[in-house]
Amino acid sequence: MNSIEVSHLRRVYRSTIGVIRRSIKEIVAVDDISFDIKEGELFGLLGPNGAGKTTTVKVLATLLIPDAGTVRVRGLDIVKDAQEVRKIIGFIFGGERGLYWRLSAIDNLRYFASLYHVDPDVSKKRIPYLLDLVGLEGRGNERVQGYSRGMKQRLHVARTLLHDPDILFLDEPTIGLDPVGAREFRGVIRNLQSENKTILLTTHYMFEADSLCERIAVIDQGRIVALDTPSALKEHVSDLSVVEVETFGVPEATVNAIRSLRFVDALSVEEQGQRQRLLIQTPLGAEAVPDVMAALDGLRVGRVTVREPTLEDAYVRLVGGKE
Amino acid sequence: MKFRNIFVYWRTILRVAEITLRHQWNDSFILFSILVQPMIIAVLALFMLRGLGGDYAMFVVVGSGLTGLWSSLLFISGNSINGERWQGTLESLVSTPTPFEVIVFGKNLANVIQSLLSMTASYLLASLLFGYTLQLVAPLLFIGSVLLSIFAFISFGLIIAPLFIMYRGIQQWQNAMEFPVYILAGFLFPIAMLPGWTTPISYILPPYWAARALHETSTGGADLEKIMLAWGMMLFFSVIDLLIASRLFKVMLYKARVDATLETE
Repeated sequence: MNSIEVSHLRRVYRSTIGVIRRSIKEIVAVDDISFDIKEGELFGLLGPNGAGKTTTVKVLATLLIPDAGTVRVRGLDIVKDAQEVRKIIGFIFGGERGLYWRLSAIDNLRYFASLYHVDPDVSKKRIPYLLDLVGLEGRGNERVQGYSRGMKQRLHVARTLLHDPDILFLDEPTIGLDPVGAREFRGVIRNLQSENKTILLTTHYMFEADSLCERIAVIDQGRIVALDTPSALKEHVSDLSVVEVETFGVPEATVNAIRSLRFVDALSVEEQGQRQRLLIQTPLGAEAVPDVMAALDGLRVGRVTVREPTLEDAYVRLVGGKE
Repeated sequence: MKFRNIFVYWRTILRVAEITLRHQWNDSFILFSILVQPMIIAVLALFMLRGLGGDYAMFVVVGSGLTGLWSSLLFISGNSINGERWQGTLESLVSTPTPFEVIVFGKNLANVIQSLLSMTASYLLASLLFGYTLQLVAPLLFIGSVLLSIFAFISFGLIIAPLFIMYRGIQQWQNAMEFPVYILAGFLFPIAMLPGWTTPISYILPPYWAARALHETSTGGADLEKIMLAWGMMLFFSVIDLLIASRLFKVMLYKARVDATLETE
């Protein structure tokens, strides 16, 4: 049974430009996407910045009206039945905003418990339980403004779970967390998954999606370019190897020159301070290395490795090596 | 706002009011708006009217309290919606099952209760600093007028709130809306001193009837007929305001979801 059904969803942002000669600028954020999420499934939505992930989540969370298409959450229409949908969903948008910093964590939770009509007797027990669950036990009476980013993120989770929603939308929930905090957070997500909650997760971290999600939709420029299980998505690049080259100060023209080599399927660049890591997807494997090194002639080159592709490589291939 | 929602969600309204007060009392700008600013206005008016007797002092006390009420609704309630937008909580509030107008009602209740402190501060100022002995001509009717005024101001404030949800840049119009209401509602001097063409505008402003009821029961003749007229008009306009607000909230929240104005640009 499907918990979420998205059919031909389209959402456009419009802004007015100019004072005397006014014109309307349109940006298509989501363009005709369709997908279903089964009850109890952890579904991932991956894509580069501006691909339409957050817009999709906001439409599902009843915060935006679609321009076209239908979106149903457990059979309820998110436009006509918004008030009913809100009773069964919870959402987290990544970052520190969305809390009252001048209030304590407990006051924040008491406030939202009331707005979600949680019985006061229930919330009295549930608030300490949730603070314990997200690792904020003993810190509930402190003002949120003194919390670290990770603590605020965890308080978001507690707030989202106050009314025990069956369906959760987590929009880049681990963004900005340190590695330990992010790992703990993934533990919380796994616990939620074990409680049979339906979860839509957007993330930039491929290993996170790979380890948590049962199915993943890759979205690019507002369109879904692939939708499958992580292992099936990796099949997209099973014919390829990845050549990783560490460089120092590689110019854009050289990157483009490598990208245009006939055997290069996709290329992405990871900036690491003074260094760059070129990730070159190619069916040639180690045989591609001499030509790549020739293209880098005169530049300082560090470590060169050839490895099997990962989900991240599948993602890079699907979105055209933009990241 | 549906009238029955006040009764269905009374517990939520009280919680919203409580949390709003706790949150705002940590903000020094708000303390200035509700305590210092009305006291400055009261001092200015008391200096100008000194020597005219206790009745005028009481008129000023009530009037400056009303200015505090209106400023509180206009600035604090309005800004609080923009504040919610900037701190990212507006989306969280709108996405709860509680109708948003119920949340705004609770916020307005907190702000109105808070600004009653303005009136108390002005009262203490007049009696301690200027030595006036302040007496209410009809204390019970005055209390009744205060309660009805709270309801009238909250309802009037509910019409303003949807504009803040819809338009991010409405703050620049707030100043332009503050003093005309002070003057047209007769907070600090009778509207008889204004040109005749402004009188119909005053009549459709609930704060005008609140000012009339409060002035009549504090320093006026306590004429029951005049008081009942003011109470009746306050109730009438409160119901009209709630009906308009109900429609406005529905339209503006829908439009905010279409135009994506629940979040910052």
